[in-house]
Amino acid sequence: MGIQMRKKIFVKCMIQYGWLLLIEAVLAIIVSYTMVQGNKVISVVIDDMLGGKEVLFASFVIQFLIFTAVGVLASFIQSIAALKYGVYTCTKYKDLVVEKLYSIEYKYFDSNYVATLLNKVIGDLGEIAGFLESVLPQMISNIIAIIIYSVYIAQLNLGLWIVIVVSYPLIFWIANILVKKISGLQNIFRQKVDKMAEIVQDAVNGILVLRSFGMEQIFQKKMHRAAKELVENEEKRTQMTNTSMVIRKVVQWLPNIISAVYAVYLVQQGNISLGGLVAFILVLNKFVEAFIELPFCMVDASAGMVCIKRMEEIFDAKEEISGTECVPMEVNVAICFDKVNFGYTQDNLVLQNLSFEVKKGENIAFVGESGGGKSTIFHLLCGFYEKTSGSYQLMGRRIEDWNRNALRQQIALVSQNVFLFPTTVEENILYGNPKATHEEIIEACKKAEIHAFIMTLPQGYQTIVGERGAILSGGQKQRISIARAILKDAPILLLDEPTSALDVETESSIQDAIGAVMAGRTCITIAHRLSTIVHADKILVLKQGHIVEWGTHEELMALGQVYAAMYGEANNEEL
Amino acid sequence: MKNYKLFIRSMKVMGKRMYLYLGAIFVMSVTFSMFSIMSSLLMKSVVDIAQVGEYQKLAGTIIVIVVVGVVSLLIYRIATIRYNVEAKRVYGVLSEAVLEVEMRLPYSYYEKHHSGEIISKILYDLAKMGDIYGSRLRRVVMPFIQVVVFLIPMFLLSWQLTLCLVGVNAIMMGLEMMMLNPMHKVSTELSAINTKMTSRLSDLLQGMEQVRMYASGYKTIDEFKTQNHCYAKKSNKMILYSACLESGGKGFELLCSLVFLVVGIYFVEKGYTTLGALTAIYTMYGVFSFQFLQMGRYIPELVGCLVNAKNIFDFLDEAREPQNWYTDSFAKEKYIKKEFAITINSVTFSYDGENAVLQNFSLQVKSGECVAITGASGCGKTTLSKLLLGLYPLDGGTIIINGLDIKECHLTALRKQIAYVPQEPYLFNGSIEENIRMGRPDATEEEIIKAAKQANAHEFIIQLSQGYQTKVGERGNNLSGGQRQRIAIARAILKDSPIILMDEATSALDNESEQLVNDALKNLQRQKTIVMIAHRPSTIQLADRVCCMEEETSAYQ
Repeated sequence: MGIQMRKKIFVKCMIQYGWLLLIEAVLAIIVSYTMVQGNKVISVVIDDMLGGKEVLFASFVIQFLIFTAVGVLASFIQSIAALKYGVYTCTKYKDLVVEKLYSIEYKYFDSNYVATLLNKVIGDLGEIAGFLESVLPQMISNIIAIIIYSVYIAQLNLGLWIVIVVSYPLIFWIANILVKKISGLQNIFRQKVDKMAEIVQDAVNGILVLRSFGMEQIFQKKMHRAAKELVENEEKRTQMTNTSMVIRKVVQWLPNIISAVYAVYLVQQGNISLGGLVAFILVLNKFVEAFIELPFCMVDASAGMVCIKRMEEIFDAKEEISGTECVPMEVNVAICFDKVNFGYTQDNLVLQNLSFEVKKGENIAFVGESGGGKSTIFHLLCGFYEKTSGSYQLMGRRIEDWNRNALRQQIALVSQNVFLFPTTVEENILYGNPKATHEEIIEACKKAEIHAFIMTLPQGYQTIVGERGAILSGGQKQRISIARAILKDAPILLLDEPTSALDVETESSIQDAIGAVMAGRTCITIAHRLSTIVHADKILVLKQGHIVEWGTHEELMALGQVYAAMYGEANNEEL
Repeated sequence: MKNYKLFIRSMKVMGKRMYLYLGAIFVMSVTFSMFSIMSSLLMKSVVDIAQVGEYQKLAGTIIVIVVVGVVSLLIYRIATIRYNVEAKRVYGVLSEAVLEVEMRLPYSYYEKHHSGEIISKILYDLAKMGDIYGSRLRRVVMPFIQVVVFLIPMFLLSWQLTLCLVGVNAIMMGLEMMMLNPMHKVSTELSAINTKMTSRLSDLLQGMEQVRMYASGYKTIDEFKTQNHCYAKKSNKMILYSACLESGGKGFELLCSLVFLVVGIYFVEKGYTTLGALTAIYTMYGVFSFQFLQMGRYIPELVGCLVNAKNIFDFLDEAREPQNWYTDSFAKEKYIKKEFAITINSVTFSYDGENAVLQNFSLQVKSGECVAITGASGCGKTTLSKLLLGLYPLDGGTIIINGLDIKECHLTALRKQIAYVPQEPYLFNGSIEENIRMGRPDATEEEIIKAAKQANAHEFIIQLSQGYQTKVGERGNNLSGGQRQRIAIARAILKDSPIILMDEATSALDNESEQLVNDALKNLQRQKTIVMIAHRPSTIQLADRVCCMEEETSAYQ
């Protein structure tokens, strides 16, 4: 069907609940069989009637009712099995996708928008559920019906059966061409929906800017264009499918006419009875129905396949490299970079030949221009990205050897972009250490200078932090994230401009708190305000991905170059 | 009859195209049943001919039937194309409508609702609602019209028998309709769970860094899974209902054959009808009954989708941000004497009606003045900037911006006066150029470059491999915080408003970038009124005047 067999994960899920599918297939056979038998009874009755025999209601009514009862029961269980199959498989698949997203290479999110991923997991999976719940069972029922009916027709008259079998493959040939074209257009359709979701997400996330700039028109236009493209694509798609549909329907009549004429010929020859003809026509109708449905199902299935393929793209993405080592080695050097090169894109190296060492318990600081690669170093240390070349070690183990989760347990990161989960303040802080007691949380908050503020909130620690955190200012969010990091109690502390959003007063008091947390830990700070890092054991000056200077504050000032210039400038401003 | 109203509203969304759309469904149904009738006529004439033995008529009859059938199909094709295109068009129109509302809600809505909720509206509810136009409605209406079309020849052949059959079918449909309410309920529940799932998922994706850094971040995934399994559990109910419908339909098909035979034979014996008519009715009845059952099956599904339509309509009905918070009827922009660029007059404000964030706050800023607002974190500085932008109604006092009274002018007119640079520079999907251009869509390329130069952003932009065409990713790793901020400032400069409002715009910048931004600000001083919320001495130094906000907020200067 033009789609490669690389749907490994999906197939796995499908097989796991395969027993349901099996039940469904068995019951489909029973249902079709009872339908055939029911029709047989009718044809016998009609034959009797035509032959002028007396019809015995009592005998065939009971027979018939039994078939009906069996048919209903079987069909009931069949649909439950089919629907459950769909729900179970999709639920499992969804679980797996989310887990995959958790362990996928961090880089993946640079090029895949949140909205697109949401659309895949929610929208495409919905389509797949539809495929499993209705298209697949329909396909199975139809195939079984075709087989059973054709056996019945073959029993009736072998010649008729041959006529049918010879004339139908044509339909499949046409359906096959159709399926290929449609699946291409279906893919385009899903992409357009992605695009629309992106616009919606962008508008929500940037609402503050959007509103203050009055950008409503721009977004409206974007959406209008996307919607228009959707309609244009649909126009193409529907024209193609419908033209083929007409051809197919006409072609489909052909075997109908041929077999009907042949049947009449057989009646004329006296090979089958008139009752047999009526029965044949009734069964032929059902047979044809199943046959018509099948290519339709294939078209629907190909739309489902497109969605499966889009989901499998997520599964195809590389996972984070995770080694097996979980315990730090007893070494003196906590962090060691050796000639590391790294770039987010291939043509643009952010870090070039970077080498440095941080001893255990040492407190070092990175300073340098924005875009110089300071935050990137943190990204590498947390294992979010992989170096292009060179090597670096954390606690004596190469980064590749570390188990990713164990590695991250070694590090408490206070990053520039604070994300708070839309739940209570307490739960947000608990992320740092889920086992912490309420007292420990309060303790951490006090250290981070946020406890007093939290107590003024209407529900204190139980206040729900909105996604946008309306009740919290940037500085408050930052302090909550510091409290979270304090609670984590990891041996290595990475601070990415921890006090950037704080006012001077709060900053100085929190600086003390950070100082207390830093004691006994290895600590790397990225700072813009040089006053905050004067006391660092070592200051590294980063420029365009290289370290240009290093030393203590005094040494660098004495050197009188880049750092001294920066410091002088800042001091001029601040004093 | 709430469903009825929802349905009517869903149709009205299409406007005049509704007639085209419904017409297309009608033509589709009629031509399709014509084709089916031709099919069964073909069989009927075959049986008749075989019975009577007039084999020479066979060829002629078949040709006539085939021609009529093909013509019906061709008309059917045209109608179907219209139908499909119109269905997608409504989907587009609805997406646009949802976006329009999404952008115009009162600001408090965004702070109270999870963005995942809003995204879920588009992905789940809107898609399901789109199904109404794309398939659900057709599946109910087409059988109905086809049933009517079929009834005509059937009544002509034998009205007694047909009446009996319709009666039996109606009973079955009644039974199916009983499923309507329970299915409606389950649909509502499923939609709610879906929204929760989307929220969790969007937390996971947006907070990926935190989720991974903390061992307990896995909780988000567990929560998603819990919801996911809850969804599966709730689906079981839906499955039961669907299975009842499905098997009921199958059983009914057989049962109807029985009724048909018993009644038919009785009527033939009594002489009410002939055997030929009986066979013809029977072949037609097969299709007829199938369609009838389809109708019964798809009505509950249609109703299920109406639940999603309701969610969308509820969203569309959300109160939008008014043009003005205080009055509906206001004269064209009334300019008051323009002594001050900004006059804040004893403003009182609270988010919850209890804890006042601002109390009797007053401040006046002269045209061309540069004022810095400082104060402890959490004292209401950001709130003040939101009030200046008219995002919330004031509890007391008033604000006059460039002669426009916030209580008497269009909010859009007010916002035109202010170019805002937020604390976290949000960059939209697209290139750097597009992002800057958003400040003023009709700006020329030269103007964009000029704005970028003023914001000290031009230098680094041209160093990027694709220059102004560089795509700004969601996470924007290609750009540092300072670079992003300078792009946001370029955007604000391009807007060319008389007032520039900066909310801690330089706090996250390194000294060098800050210096660049401050230089940019110096360029703008005197030309523009600048209000900056800041706490860095180096930035505050630029200001002509410093206003310090205190906890119980009256300002001293």
